[in-house]
Amino acid sequence: MIKSDSRTILRRIIILIGVLVGFVIVAYGWTVTQINLDRPQEPVRQQNVTNALRELLSPNVFTQDYAINSTTTSILVDCPADGGTPETPAAPDDGSSYIVVTPACASEGDIITVTGYNFYPDTLARLNWIGTDGERRIRQVIGSEDNNFVVGSNGTFTAEIEVPRIRGSSGETHTIEVQDATPSGPVRFSDTTALVMEKMVETIFLALIATLISILPSAVLSFFAAHNLMRPVKMSLGSLLIAFALLPVGWWLGSLLLGAVGNFAISLGSGQLFAGSASTLIIAFGAVAVARRQAIQPETLWFRVRGVLMSLLFAVITIAVLGLLGGVGILIGTLWHEGILGYISAFVGSLGELVQLLIPTLSGITGAFVLGSAGITLTRPLLKAIDVPVEHILGAVLGVICGGILLAFSATVGMQAAWLGLLTPVIAAAMGGAVLPGIYNRLLPSHPAKGTFKTILRLIGAAALFIITFMALRVERAVVEGVLPPTTVAFTIGNLVVYEYVAKAMLIGAVVGGISAGIAGTRAQFPVGEVLYNTTRTILNALRAIEPLIMGLVFVIWVGIGPFAGVLALTLHSIASLGKLYSEQIENIDNGPLEALQSTGANRLQTIMYAVVPQVIPPYIAFTMYRWDINVRMSTIIGFVGGGGVGFLLQQQINLLRYREAGVAVLAIAIVVSILDYASASIRERVT
Amino acid sequence: MLKIENVSKIYDNGFQALHNINLEIPDGQFVAIIGLSGSGKSTLLRCINRLIDPTEGRITWGTIDITAAADDELRQIRRRIGMIFQQFNLVKRSSVLTNVLCGRLGYVNPVFSLINYVPGNEKERALAALTRVGIADKANNRASTLSGGQQQRVGIARALMQEPDLMLADEPVASLDPATSHSVMRYLELLNKEDGITILCSLHFLSLARAYSDRVIALKDGRVEFDGLPSEIDNERFKQIYGEDAVEVEIH
Repeated sequence: MIKSDSRTILRRIIILIGVLVGFVIVAYGWTVTQINLDRPQEPVRQQNVTNALRELLSPNVFTQDYAINSTTTSILVDCPADGGTPETPAAPDDGSSYIVVTPACASEGDIITVTGYNFYPDTLARLNWIGTDGERRIRQVIGSEDNNFVVGSNGTFTAEIEVPRIRGSSGETHTIEVQDATPSGPVRFSDTTALVMEKMVETIFLALIATLISILPSAVLSFFAAHNLMRPVKMSLGSLLIAFALLPVGWWLGSLLLGAVGNFAISLGSGQLFAGSASTLIIAFGAVAVARRQAIQPETLWFRVRGVLMSLLFAVITIAVLGLLGGVGILIGTLWHEGILGYISAFVGSLGELVQLLIPTLSGITGAFVLGSAGITLTRPLLKAIDVPVEHILGAVLGVICGGILLAFSATVGMQAAWLGLLTPVIAAAMGGAVLPGIYNRLLPSHPAKGTFKTILRLIGAAALFIITFMALRVERAVVEGVLPPTTVAFTIGNLVVYEYVAKAMLIGAVVGGISAGIAGTRAQFPVGEVLYNTTRTILNALRAIEPLIMGLVFVIWVGIGPFAGVLALTLHSIASLGKLYSEQIENIDNGPLEALQSTGANRLQTIMYAVVPQVIPPYIAFTMYRWDINVRMSTIIGFVGGGGVGFLLQQQINLLRYREAGVAVLAIAIVVSILDYASASIRERVT
Repeated sequence: MLKIENVSKIYDNGFQALHNINLEIPDGQFVAIIGLSGSGKSTLLRCINRLIDPTEGRITWGTIDITAAADDELRQIRRRIGMIFQQFNLVKRSSVLTNVLCGRLGYVNPVFSLINYVPGNEKERALAALTRVGIADKANNRASTLSGGQQQRVGIARALMQEPDLMLADEPVASLDPATSHSVMRYLELLNKEDGITILCSLHFLSLARAYSDRVIALKDGRVEFDGLPSEIDNERFKQIYGEDAVEVEIH
């Protein structure tokens, strides 16, 4: 006999409880979602939905012109007292339509039978009573609630109508008229179809442009969101802090000096097409020639300085070439206005303006990057040479600067909207997580904190810093009352105003940064890659979580109703979504070539270009096609909030209860989506 | 002279792959590293060019301290150390020529790599390397269309582009059939004899080690079990290295 184990019984009880809990959850969900089996069975609702579906499924894609024919006969109201009946007119012998009324005379309220011959088969017709006053009165066929009836497929019909009461017309001869619609001219597409087609083209291009624009940003982001590429990226804390401290200075210098170069290049390019293009070419060739001479150098100071100068030169040349191209673009934008050349010229001009808009930002980023990497290159021997006490002192100094910069920046962002105020405590908490384990390990170097204990220390430190920052900056006012931080001025440097709020955050950042970097020392390895990876992932996930519909609403407020708002909303969402999909493809690649290229002495950029890019191109193409397909479907929804395309039309028609017209739009969407789906599937098959 | 001093490696999961390894490898030697799977052969080779960072110890090469090198110095050191792999590690979708040119990346300005530009003389050098391993006619084929032996020869050509002084071969013939194995080993021998490149080659088959190497280092559980001439490995030594149940298999 098998003895049942107590653990087995326990497991079964747990499973049973789990099933019961699941049942309760589903039952609650049933109530919350107001599932009601009676409502769908109500006859009125069933009738309504049948009508709506019937119209949706009868889209007026086609139309045809109709000629209204009139066929008449006469009837005597009130039969003559002598009992004689008027003569029935004879059937015409030319095959044209005619009607016969029986009896040929009747009194008011009598039921008479109208029989028609030689009519156009299956067409709609209606019966009119024309009294002696000449007024047309529609007579509904008895047993029908519609003004129209359908002629039989052999061209005949029989209908019973009631003789109307027309005062003072007794003894007169009235006329009965049958009006029928005979098709004239060929079947053609309806106006609705033409409109839907036009909007469908808009939708397809809206989706295409959004997809195309999103490719580059999401491809760049995907490398930062790929764990296998980012995990090994580490940097000594000293180098990182030096670079970070130089970023704001680099940004300022860059946007000032490089920005000036860029703007000069733009004005040169846009002023003179020939001079602009020529100098672009000369500078670009010069850059290539200069770069070719540069080989990787031994580690001497002179070569370091040379390297820094080279990267500076390269930055200047890049901005200059970009500016010249932008300027030439702007100039081309003014050349043509009509036809295909007009489109191209408008497009190139628009790109030129985009470059002009981006030059300050790009200059800032480039400046920050150049100065940061120059800082790393020039200080490396120094950082390598210093030893234990100096390492920690330097770390503390740099930590104070960088911590201050970081939190001052986040506080500045936090001043823009109430709940953004939470950003500063969160970043402070992330920094604070490193403090407690660091102090503990410094005090008890023989028993370093490990595992769960270390995690607990981290959490305590993080929580403490979160609360301190939260209280100090009075974030609760922002969170609870939705008030922006006060703009009390703490101090001014030149014309730079520093608010008290920012200054407080800066102080906290400086203290925490100083302590944690001081303990760690400049030679500690900082997992830059992990931080970048997690930041990118968080941003992508947050962006992806926001429905494009909501993004559409925001962009409609910004740029107005129309396809442009739709393009922006879909682009933003596509960047987030493609970034994630692309990064997963990078994580799936064969890591062998990566290892091989690293072993040849290739740097990270080269490894990515030669070992990663060739492997991910086919899946990137496949996912981009797929994204286009998704964007076409999404753009119909975006249209509902004013994002242009066929969705906007669909919404209007639904609001006007014009379901047959709406049916055309639905049909068009279905056709285009299936074609795209098929095309993207076959292309995906071919590239992989 | 490659000097490995007190090198240990403990992986993040706690597994200790190398225990206090001490070795001196003079320039120009053909060294075979043998041992069972998991004995630490691959880890040792990867510690030398720091694809894996050793947990403890020092590796020096001539006057250069490899273990202490910072990122950009390390790249310059790696340029002079070629490496070939069991799985060849070619970029399968790229052409043979591109794969070979990748060996030169350490010498090319990284900015050029962004626009996929390769100086013209590098292409000639790549073709010369391919001619040396006898597959110049395949230069424009996709790497994935080549047979295993041909792919490994592309791997050798890629390493040749680095103009290496030291070549690390991580079980270069373990995925190949016996005949192809010998052909690949002969190319390595040629590089050793003609160019004077020091070769560290991990191998499964003792017979290959006997045929090609000047010196055999046997690893067992991350420790050096034997270090000497191939001819010194007798049946007793063999059982010491590979375990009591092992039988030597010849590869012809």
